[in-house]
Amino acid sequence: MSEKKYTKDHEWVSIENEIATIGISNHAQESLGDIVFIELPSVGNSVKAKDEICVVESVKAASDIYAPIDGEIIEVNNNLENDAAIINQDAENDGWIFKMKISDSNQYSDLMSEDEYKQFLEQ
Amino acid sequence: MPINYKTGIINEHKNVRNHSGIFDVSHMGQILIENNESYLHKLEKYIPLQLKNLIKNRSHYSFLLNKDGGVIDDLIISSIDIKDKPYLYIVYNASRKKEDEEIFISCAPNAEKIYNKNCLFAIQGPDSINVLKNIIDIPNNMNFFDILISKYDNNQILVSRSGYTGEDGFELSIPNESAENLITDLLKNENTMLCGLGSRDSLRLEAGLSLYGHELNENITPIEAGLSWALDKERLEDKNLNGNKILSDQLKNNLSNKKIGLISTNKSMLRDGMTLFDNNNNEIGKITSGCFSPNLNKSIAIGYIRSEFNTDNPIFCEIRKKLELVKINNLPFVKKNYKKNGSVYE
Repeated sequence: MSEKKYTKDHEWVSIENEIATIGISNHAQESLGDIVFIELPSVGNSVKAKDEICVVESVKAASDIYAPIDGEIIEVNNNLENDAAIINQDAENDGWIFKMKISDSNQYSDLMSEDEYKQFLEQ
Repeated sequence: MPINYKTGIINEHKNVRNHSGIFDVSHMGQILIENNESYLHKLEKYIPLQLKNLIKNRSHYSFLLNKDGGVIDDLIISSIDIKDKPYLYIVYNASRKKEDEEIFISCAPNAEKIYNKNCLFAIQGPDSINVLKNIIDIPNNMNFFDILISKYDNNQILVSRSGYTGEDGFELSIPNESAENLITDLLKNENTMLCGLGSRDSLRLEAGLSLYGHELNENITPIEAGLSWALDKERLEDKNLNGNKILSDQLKNNLSNKKIGLISTNKSMLRDGMTLFDNNNNEIGKITSGCFSPNLNKSIAIGYIRSEFNTDNPIFCEIRKKLELVKINNLPFVKKNYKKNGSVYE
């Protein structure tokens, strides 16, 4: 059973069998407004936590997406290439952005739970 | 005024192009200046129009110019009688209130700032007239850039057929105490909606209109900004006008930069401040405004490039350290839709 966790950069991560799925939180989607373009990361790239790996462009601004943990990009959501607004409609399910094979599951436990993220947003 | 309301920038933008939308632009400056010869003469040092010849009940797009002909601000100036007394009514940018008012007050010490007691709303889009005419008396023969006094709630309101979206529309200067009622009345029409700064920007950019702080600043003259049509050419020979020599020289000679419209060839977004290059990696200019165009479904931009650059050659924009091909597009990106003599003109 995968539990969804959150980063301070307003991304969500859910892990199943060492594969992490990552997207931006519903809160992030709301504050970015209409998303019109996403530059997806390259499959096969090995990345470190906090690396800037792709960009979401909304009508208002460009926003970097960071790797939440170390790992290798193994899949990207190609549906977003034709319709980036899927993120506005369903940021935390159909609007997933990429999947990673993670190298260190301890990094995952350091991320915020949904409740902790809610508190973080209220601060 | 928020960036957008609940349905988002793109929806607000399309609603204005297809129906209508309401902008609360009460943050802008509004001032009344008594229309007398001594004040007009002093103002003509800064404003490149023949102020004494302004036609009553008409508005003009103009500028305040510094001594080098640079733009202190761009503004709309109208000649109108209020309670049988002739005035100039000027609407100017919120970000330039301090600079502008220093000039207005130095020319006309009793100039009256009215933005603390009057709200300013813009209703924009092809349906604006239908939304408005049930609420306020609008004569059938009112053209774009006409201005008149009408009544609402037993208050006098200033109504001008104008705006900054490229669409037909109206701006309404209304006493604060009636403002909420007016908005409530307007919103009873279910095809209109409140719109924010985000769609205001994308609409004006599609219409190729300049924005102060982007295309215009104190180091750019109206001629360099491609706005020489707004200058009264006779005034350029008048020594009383700031920068008159520089401006008339610029009209006769070649300029160092030219304003261009750009359109993205892929899905990348063009943004203010991005640098433009030729195919030999030489810097040729910069973007001054960029946004996503809901009508074209691509990113569009306005920028300045060096005049000698031949626009038949490819232009590249640096986006996140990569050079992306962009295409020149004539301004405006979307046809203007203004009303004149009972019909719509571009």
